[in-house]
Amino acid sequence: MKHIIQVLGFEYKGILKSKAFIITTVLFLVLIVGMAFLPGLILSMQSSGGEDRPDGEKPVIAIVDKAYGEAETIKKEFGETFKGYRVELTADEEEKLSGKVNEQEYSFAVIINEPLAVTYITKNNSLMSSELTNVTETVKRIYQTTSFEKLGVPAEVSTKIINSQPELKTVTTGTDQTRNFLTAYILMMMIYMAVVLYGQLVAQSVVAEKNTRTMEMLITCARPSHLMFGKVLGSGLAGLTQLAVIVCTAVVSMRFVSLDSLPQELREMMTFPVDTALYALLFFILGYFIYSFLLGAFASFASRSEDLNTLISPVMLVIVAVFLIVIIAMNSGTVDSPLMIVCSYVPFSAPVAMFARVALSDVSFIEIIISVVLQIAAIYLLGMLASAIYRIGVLMYGKVPKPSEVVKLLSEQHKTNKALKASRKAQ
Amino acid sequence: MELKVKGLYKSFGEKEVLKDVSLNAVSGSALGLLGRNGAGKTTTIRIIMDVFYPDKGEILIDGRPVDRKRIRIGYMPEERGLYPKKIISDQLIYLSMLRGMNRVDAKSACDKWLDRMGMSEYKNKKLETLSKGNQQKIQLAATLICDPEIVILDEPFSGLDPVNAMLLKEVIMEMIENGAVVLFSSHQMNYVEEFCSNISILNSGRIVVDGRINDIKRSYPRNSIEISTREPQKLSAHIIKAMGEKIVSSGQLEHDESRLLIKLKDESSKGELLSLIAGSGCDIDGFRVCEPSLNDIFVQYTEAGI
Repeated sequence: MKHIIQVLGFEYKGILKSKAFIITTVLFLVLIVGMAFLPGLILSMQSSGGEDRPDGEKPVIAIVDKAYGEAETIKKEFGETFKGYRVELTADEEEKLSGKVNEQEYSFAVIINEPLAVTYITKNNSLMSSELTNVTETVKRIYQTTSFEKLGVPAEVSTKIINSQPELKTVTTGTDQTRNFLTAYILMMMIYMAVVLYGQLVAQSVVAEKNTRTMEMLITCARPSHLMFGKVLGSGLAGLTQLAVIVCTAVVSMRFVSLDSLPQELREMMTFPVDTALYALLFFILGYFIYSFLLGAFASFASRSEDLNTLISPVMLVIVAVFLIVIIAMNSGTVDSPLMIVCSYVPFSAPVAMFARVALSDVSFIEIIISVVLQIAAIYLLGMLASAIYRIGVLMYGKVPKPSEVVKLLSEQHKTNKALKASRKAQ
Repeated sequence: MELKVKGLYKSFGEKEVLKDVSLNAVSGSALGLLGRNGAGKTTTIRIIMDVFYPDKGEILIDGRPVDRKRIRIGYMPEERGLYPKKIISDQLIYLSMLRGMNRVDAKSACDKWLDRMGMSEYKNKKLETLSKGNQQKIQLAATLICDPEIVILDEPFSGLDPVNAMLLKEVIMEMIENGAVVLFSSHQMNYVEEFCSNISILNSGRIVVDGRINDIKRSYPRNSIEISTREPQKLSAHIIKAMGEKIVSSGQLEHDESRLLIKLKDESSKGELLSLIAGSGCDIDGFRVCEPSLNDIFVQYTEAGI
């Protein structure tokens, strides 16, 4: 135990002091702060496009009305929709308007040819622009109110009727997928990325020690299982430290951003249920142990860091496959399909699959317990197996052995250990 | 304390690397493990250090299977192994803590050994910034920092300049005086001869000679006599005349004409030769039996293939 803690401490400090680790942490922080402030910033830039400016400086919208003959209504409706703009009614022809739009005298121009037929002239038509929708909506509204008025309904009444919305109250008996979806998605991505990132840290440290032959010194000082467990725990703790720093920064920077500026739907999707986050932490830790032991064991056969990627690719393939299965299930809303249920118990896929089910569906507590217990058992077995493989792998240079050879060596090692123990007892 | 290696066998695949290797090393003396490249020295050492498992055979300390947890062993691998990108004092402290020291002791031991090696100024440097010889000294510090009862050094002299080799020699001598069991492999015979009382020569995975160096040398026929004199030619003629039938050859050494080398047919006629030259009237400076050098012995036993 003492050895594990010593190895853990050394690895942990080593990682925290490494330049690569510091740089990625700082980059993540910049990204997080940027992401937290960016939506608000963009929205504020959009809405205050010219609202505060005096009339003369506001961008201009040109409207040609050939259908209604109601200049005041049109001016009022467009002015309400496009708050930062000045609305100008003209009688220019399409060509002339196009020229002026092109020269940016007008932001854009609208020619109402018939009550429900409109020409929209813009310089750059962007995919994301809401301008066109707003124009259509405004013309539709003008048509509706004027039509109602012709029927003798005053504008105030008709507007009320048109804009009326039923009041909706949702009662969710299980987990509300619409509310949790984004959170679950983000958290699952984080689990996946963290497992891959920190698992590779273990793999790299194993290869580095082997490559520099530090292994030979270490293996004569401590038991391989202690070295392996210490290494995995140390890298994991370093990973958790990084995550903690990132999450704290995210939470703090969210405080400074007023969420009110975000659209209602986005805000609802971003609600952050604490229990889901805690489950994410639990499943990250479990997943990390499962995969870092695997990666460490595989990495111990690489003599140089160039061989590492080839060697760990089978493990990476499994991770990606699991990730894809879960993503597809999440997107299609079938997180409780038979495949997903199986996946949420198999230790290699359980960390991600079970998390997706917990976040987006209604999983009984006992199911979660069973899955976690299975994963812990798998971690113990993998840890022991990985240590044994590591013991063989780290002192083997050159060619990567075939799986059958590894099994043979493992059984030989097991026999030797048994004999050693027996002789110790006999004394 | 006695370190005993008993009947080691080890194969890598088809290749049998060690065949019935046995060694014996005791406190307060050094055992030199000699052999040509690929003879099995490093494999033997790695088995002693539990890096490899033997196919057969055992390692005993005072007659009992070695318990590596209780006995402090200092090991310096042939392919030096430390972290190149880490601070020197950090890794020295780490390694000594893994070997059971507490942090305070490890720190003071680290300072002490770096000072002893003349490396104190590099304490907070990364290992990779040092020259090869200096890295070697750090490696030695890492080996000896835990005050080992058994010291195993695989080719400790490779890469050291004469001054550093002297330093290493002093340190090893000190360990021997303090009662450590020292085992080391080398093919630099002069170093081995200087502080090993015992040697084992490995050839193709087998021990071909072992024992005290003096005993081994004595086992050679003691029939070559070297006489230092100012009148070599006169003495030679005198000897040939008096005991010609008992002599194989007599002649001056090429590089030193004041020395006469005489080979007797039978070493028992040494006394007769001594009294003869005493009565020859020639001025005699020295008379000694020529022993084979360790180098000669090594070459003789290991020349036959690997």
